[in-house]
Amino acid sequence: MNLLQIAANNLKRRRMKMLFLTLGLVVGVATVVALMSIVQAMRLELGDRIDEFGANAVIVPRSEGVELSFGDTVVSDVIFDVQELTMADLPKIRQSVVAEYINIVSPKLVGAVKADGQNALIVGVEAKQEFTQKPWFSLREQAGVPAGGKVGDLALLDVPEDGVILGSSAAQHLEKRVGDTLVINERTFSVFGILNELGAEEDGLIYADLAAVQGLLGRPGQLSMIEVSAWCNFCPIEEVVAGLSAALPNGRVIALRQAAMFRYQTIDQFSAFGFALSGVVLLIAALVVLTTMLSSVNERTREIGIFRAIGFRRVHVMEIIFLEAAIVSAMGGLAGYILGSAVAQVAGPFLAQIQGDVPLRTELILPAVLLSAVLAVLASAYPAVKAAQLDPAEALRYI
Amino acid sequence: MAEVMIAMKNLTKVYKSMGDEVQALRGVSLNIDKGESVAVMGQSGSGKSTLLSILGALNPPTSGSVEVDGIDVYALSQEKRADFRREYLGFVFQQFQLIPYLTALENVMLPLTTVKKSNKEKREMAGSVLCRVGLAGKMNRLPNQLSGGEQERVAIARAIVNEPPVLLADEPTGSLDTKTGDEIMALFQRLNEDGLTVLMVTHNPENTRYMSRTIIMKDGRLCTDKAELLQLVSAGKR
Repeated sequence: MNLLQIAANNLKRRRMKMLFLTLGLVVGVATVVALMSIVQAMRLELGDRIDEFGANAVIVPRSEGVELSFGDTVVSDVIFDVQELTMADLPKIRQSVVAEYINIVSPKLVGAVKADGQNALIVGVEAKQEFTQKPWFSLREQAGVPAGGKVGDLALLDVPEDGVILGSSAAQHLEKRVGDTLVINERTFSVFGILNELGAEEDGLIYADLAAVQGLLGRPGQLSMIEVSAWCNFCPIEEVVAGLSAALPNGRVIALRQAAMFRYQTIDQFSAFGFALSGVVLLIAALVVLTTMLSSVNERTREIGIFRAIGFRRVHVMEIIFLEAAIVSAMGGLAGYILGSAVAQVAGPFLAQIQGDVPLRTELILPAVLLSAVLAVLASAYPAVKAAQLDPAEALRYI
Repeated sequence: MAEVMIAMKNLTKVYKSMGDEVQALRGVSLNIDKGESVAVMGQSGSGKSTLLSILGALNPPTSGSVEVDGIDVYALSQEKRADFRREYLGFVFQQFQLIPYLTALENVMLPLTTVKKSNKEKREMAGSVLCRVGLAGKMNRLPNQLSGGEQERVAIARAIVNEPPVLLADEPTGSLDTKTGDEIMALFQRLNEDGLTVLMVTHNPENTRYMSRTIIMKDGRLCTDKAELLQLVSAGKR
């Protein structure tokens, strides 16, 4: 006979109470496990969606520079030792140590041209890469589509090699409509589309095929920059930058900090909400344990009196109460994990509007059981102390 | 000269409740020798249960002292007193007070829970004691599967499993029929003959036949009036 057997036998006798106690813990742990699983899935999906929206790193040619200043005023800056960024560098990105985290690679060449005799800035792009990376670009007008008709998705359209897409300001400045021709550096292009106003610098640009612009500017194979979208759920942007820098020693890789900060902040808010809600549920579960154990101690006054009268110390009585809590909590933790995982798998995609599956998190089994045990033992502390302090003479009605 | 096992000196006990004071014991002094068997009788409210609880190291007296086998019981800390109860006292409670979800064997093993022995040794000790009280074949029965007399035997076995020198019993035959009561009293007598010092609170004057000495409590004192003693004993008043 040992204290564990006494605890186990008591639980066997009070099945309904034990069930109620376990249920409280199961609901508490299940809520935490389900929330953590769903929030994790949301983090991953949200992270992916944010990562898809625009570039989070840009690669420019490496250069050295010197700034001459007089007091606080920069008088002149001198750039020298400028490296080249070329089309040959593109495969290196897909072969780098962070290749598995790279989503979209959008090379560009930017230059000044004469468009219908007027100065203009032209950007050579690989259209599908560029407009997939920037889904906020959309066409206001498209060649072959009547006015007011439904224009195509820029990311999916095949822009002809001699076609250009004008920013809204550029179109207005050059007085061009879709279908018009545009002579750029003595080469004739057709206006394929005009973009919706963005309210940014891009409104004044002319977008054309990269190879065509390289030819126009007399810079075959060269690039001004490469914009990169990376998946950052499992690889922070700083690691991506380090990996790309190693792959392209002739380039300078810059993380777009604002994008990263927005991403982390948004995701952290989701996680904080999940944790806060879990905390409330666990508190309620702890209260259920506390009240149930207290009621159990009150019912067992005479029994505890007998234990004390035959020679059990206070610590032995407390140990019995804690052992009962530990047994119930182990079962509750395991059952809670199973229920929480099931709820996350079945209801998670519906509740959280997640496209993919909610992954099963086996690494939560031990923490779930430990959480349940800690919760039950802490909540049982007051009932255990109360049981231990029972006066045996009073409990046995000798007073 | 007989060795004193229990020495009570000027015991008083006052209970305070809602501003009132109830004096349950008024200066009780008594010595019980080793190997004696003493019956404590008296009407309800005479103080006999209070006396038993004080002797059982459960209820500190308001004043006075209790020494068992030379140990000043109430000079010990609460936790040491628990150890003392386990080692020196066997207590047979009123209404048996068995743990309902433990078998007879497990109930008897209860005082051994905190003793550092193997489970096997504990089972053997408990089994041996159950045989001694005549319950060899009923070790695995739950209390509700035993008769009143059998439950009383289990309670006695639980009280003596740790081989204490003193056995305290509170109305051990109170809820038993005459025949069963006599069997239980005969068991107590056998245990006393084996060397146990026995102190028993009882209402039944018939039980005094099995004990070597009878003391009467009245209004918190030991009754010394011989006429009253005889009257009380023969009338068997409650």
